[in-house]
Amino acid sequence: MLSTRISYLSQDTLEIMRERVFELLENHGVKMDHAEVVKILEKAGAKVDSDSQMVRFPKNFLEEQFRKAPKSFSLVGRNGKQKLGLPREDGTFHTRTNTGAQSWIEPETGVYRRVRVPDIAIWARLSDRLGEIGFCAFPVPSDVPDATADVYALRAMLQNTEKHVWVQPYTEGSVEYLVKLSIAAAGGEEALKSKPLVSFITCSLTPLEFKRMDLEIILQASRHGIPLHACSLPSAGTTGPVSEPGIALLCVAEILAMLATAQVIEPGTQIVATPLIFSTDMSTGRSLQSSVESLRSNALAVQFVKAAFGIPTHTYGIGADSPAMDGQCMSEGALRGMLIGVSGADILGAAGQIEVATTISPVQLTIDNEVFGMVRRIITGMNFDDETMAWEDLMNVKPGGEFLTTDHTYRHCRDGLPPINFVRSTRESWEQGGQTDLVGRATQFCRNLLEKAKPVEMPEDVIKEMDCIVRAADDRLI
Amino acid sequence: MPDFSLLAVTETLISGEEKELIELVKNTLDQGIPAKKILDEGLIHGMDIVGERMETGEMFIPEVLRCAKVMSAAVEILKPFLGEKDISATGRVVIGTVKGDLHDIGKNLVIMMLESAGFEVHDLGVDVPPDTFVSAIKEKDADVLALSALLTTTTNMMKATIDAVKESALRDRVKIMVGGAPVKQEFADKIGADGYAPDAGSAVKLAKTLVR
Repeated sequence: MLSTRISYLSQDTLEIMRERVFELLENHGVKMDHAEVVKILEKAGAKVDSDSQMVRFPKNFLEEQFRKAPKSFSLVGRNGKQKLGLPREDGTFHTRTNTGAQSWIEPETGVYRRVRVPDIAIWARLSDRLGEIGFCAFPVPSDVPDATADVYALRAMLQNTEKHVWVQPYTEGSVEYLVKLSIAAAGGEEALKSKPLVSFITCSLTPLEFKRMDLEIILQASRHGIPLHACSLPSAGTTGPVSEPGIALLCVAEILAMLATAQVIEPGTQIVATPLIFSTDMSTGRSLQSSVESLRSNALAVQFVKAAFGIPTHTYGIGADSPAMDGQCMSEGALRGMLIGVSGADILGAAGQIEVATTISPVQLTIDNEVFGMVRRIITGMNFDDETMAWEDLMNVKPGGEFLTTDHTYRHCRDGLPPINFVRSTRESWEQGGQTDLVGRATQFCRNLLEKAKPVEMPEDVIKEMDCIVRAADDRLI
Repeated sequence: MPDFSLLAVTETLISGEEKELIELVKNTLDQGIPAKKILDEGLIHGMDIVGERMETGEMFIPEVLRCAKVMSAAVEILKPFLGEKDISATGRVVIGTVKGDLHDIGKNLVIMMLESAGFEVHDLGVDVPPDTFVSAIKEKDADVLALSALLTTTTNMMKATIDAVKESALRDRVKIMVGGAPVKQEFADKIGADGYAPDAGSAVKLAKTLVR
């Protein structure tokens, strides 16, 4: 583990930010559009104004809730095959694929179009086979009814990956069915509670407001023992302050309000603080994921939550604003991965996404998988002993000698990170190999992986049960 | 049916385990298997596989060099049982970095790789003038002349060296290969070399082709 992480905060500024968060939540408060949740909070000690639906959180009340929130836990995959410890034991991070994209770049043809359910199966299978991808989320399918698109998407995910799945509900009505699908795939309510194979995202409606749907997610997920990614997505200068400390303050305050709510509903609910801060292109009003300001704000929010509250953190750790898989796209992804990685985030999300999270590409996911591996290796700490210092070799080498034939080099010559689709060949051999660029090589790699990829093993009765849940959701929600 | 003793020799050579290989070679000799057969079908066969694996990237240079080292140790065990003809080199190479250039890391790597492939290599060092190369070709009865350069400014000296070889009337009896960071196939063709190798692994392959 690195002995130091990058931080924009000093001890003094950390204390100021911490106090301001408490002050914001205690004196200003948040609006919550969910009578049951508000009632539960009031009973537990929050200050509620029923007319305005404003909830204020006294500092001692908040501190009590923080104490209940687990500082470490694991996200698990189906069949107990995967356990993602938070924080990760080696001091690095886990990774996640994009959530919520609407568009898809076909790996076979490169054609750009809307996402369909069969694409989600491909997405899940590919994620399942990429070693650096920790868990996966789903995009928005366009070939099923809008009201149940998330239900169809989760069903497709569960049948095609054994990795942990991040669930983003699109409507309040579908939350129930997404929980039911999770229970079915886990093998019952108790099984889901003890080893939750899914985690849900709940979001604020910035600034300082919470929709009924998101509070319903907190309510249901907490009661079912499902981990929650408490997410705030402000845009600088529009739904949040334009300045970096200001927007990070707002974002973290909203996250803490969600954390406190979940702890009141079910003490010990596993919360991952998930700041997803955007900057705004002031010439067009467009939200940006990969601008320098967005990177700095998210890094700051991660550093703040980790240092001040010690709960696991999760933010975009890759991805691009570029609409194409071009040089800008790769540069943005790598810059983001490095900054967020050294900031100490526990989960680096957004793998496979471009165009500000609206488009995904299996080929880009393949490339991001490799970049994540590099970032992980870069931020991994070093041991300092005679072996790593090659002390014997250094003391024995003749001036002008070589290290190529030493036992030490032989022992460690495979320590380097092997490339997957990156090449280090000469121009001539690259030309002889067909002059493919990274996208071309990753496309071929992706096709090879997908060619052999089948759905994961799942009992027939579970598949039937999931189909029944999807039908029931259609009947009620359409 | 494969001879399992020789198969084991091959596999142990590839694993780079010196002690085990020596033990195994001794045992195989004790079983009455001829030294020449152990050399050809066990050790040299093993080095051929190592070469192939290096080419595909399965084996790394330090591993290849380790195999070459354990091979040499094993050959020492076999030598008393081999005739002089049995241990002749794959070919004789005279190698050096051309005049004006003092870089030798790449050249040294090529030497190690050539030696591991069974070549007899005569290293003239760095900053070698054309005449010295010419003399060494004669003296060592070289099959191959290997010229190295790292600096763009010294690649012209490769041409000067080749011209000197031509003038000395040795050109027909020696193959010339060139390599180094600024060297490309096009340049090799232009100056009249017989071959160009972009890296040490390719250099061995090229040298084998040239002496065939």
